[in-house]
Amino acid sequence: MTRTTSACALILLTAAFAASAFAAEAIDAAKGDAKAGKALVYTCGGCHGVTGYMNAYPNYHVPRIGGQNYDYLVAALTEYKTGQRNHPTMHAQGESLSDQDIRNIATYLSSIVK
Amino acid sequence: MKFAPLLLVASLGMSAAHAQPIPLEKVKEKAATCAACHGADGNSDTPAQSQYPRLAGQYHDYLARALHEYKSGGRKNPIMAGMAAPLSDTEIDALSRYFAAMPSKLDDLSRHEQGD
Repeated sequence: MTRTTSACALILLTAAFAASAFAAEAIDAAKGDAKAGKALVYTCGGCHGVTGYMNAYPNYHVPRIGGQNYDYLVAALTEYKTGQRNHPTMHAQGESLSDQDIRNIATYLSSIVK
Repeated sequence: MKFAPLLLVASLGMSAAHAQPIPLEKVKEKAATCAACHGADGNSDTPAQSQYPRLAGQYHDYLARALHEYKSGGRKNPIMAGMAAPLSDTEIDALSRYFAAMPSKLDDLSRHEQGD
């Protein structure tokens, strides 16, 4: 009887731990996968990885994006994707990305705070 | 950090060919409005501020470009449209340089290495 009770308690306890672990993972999943994001960021380096790189016509530095805030990055990439934010090169990049890709990229970039 | 105000004065001086530079104290007064969302240090560091970009250490000409676009409506954001509308070209330049000179958490990706 006692053994059954303690076995039940153990099962419940394990379930509770599993549930909280799952909840923690679910929060991360709501953000994105930094590893997958890092692979996608390879493309960004062509402009954003060259120190002092200038946008042409008009001329201004392309922004530093490493360490930028997650939610802002998601919003910016989504706006480029939909065309709400107008930049030909970034529109083309945004169009090639799924919403999950965007979350992954934002997760990686926001993680490399200086 | 110690030299940031000096750099700012120097850079303001260089851009002053077409306009009188704005005294640093005046720039700080203007920048106080930005702090509510972008933080006093320009780093938008609280979780609630994650929706706003970090400005500290961003390229000054990119920041100026953004403010001009908000002002013209080329870049649409209801909050920033209201903020940028009253700014003169000289004020945009001064504010951009002020935030660009702050200690930064931003980085370009020049040290980015592909792979695990």
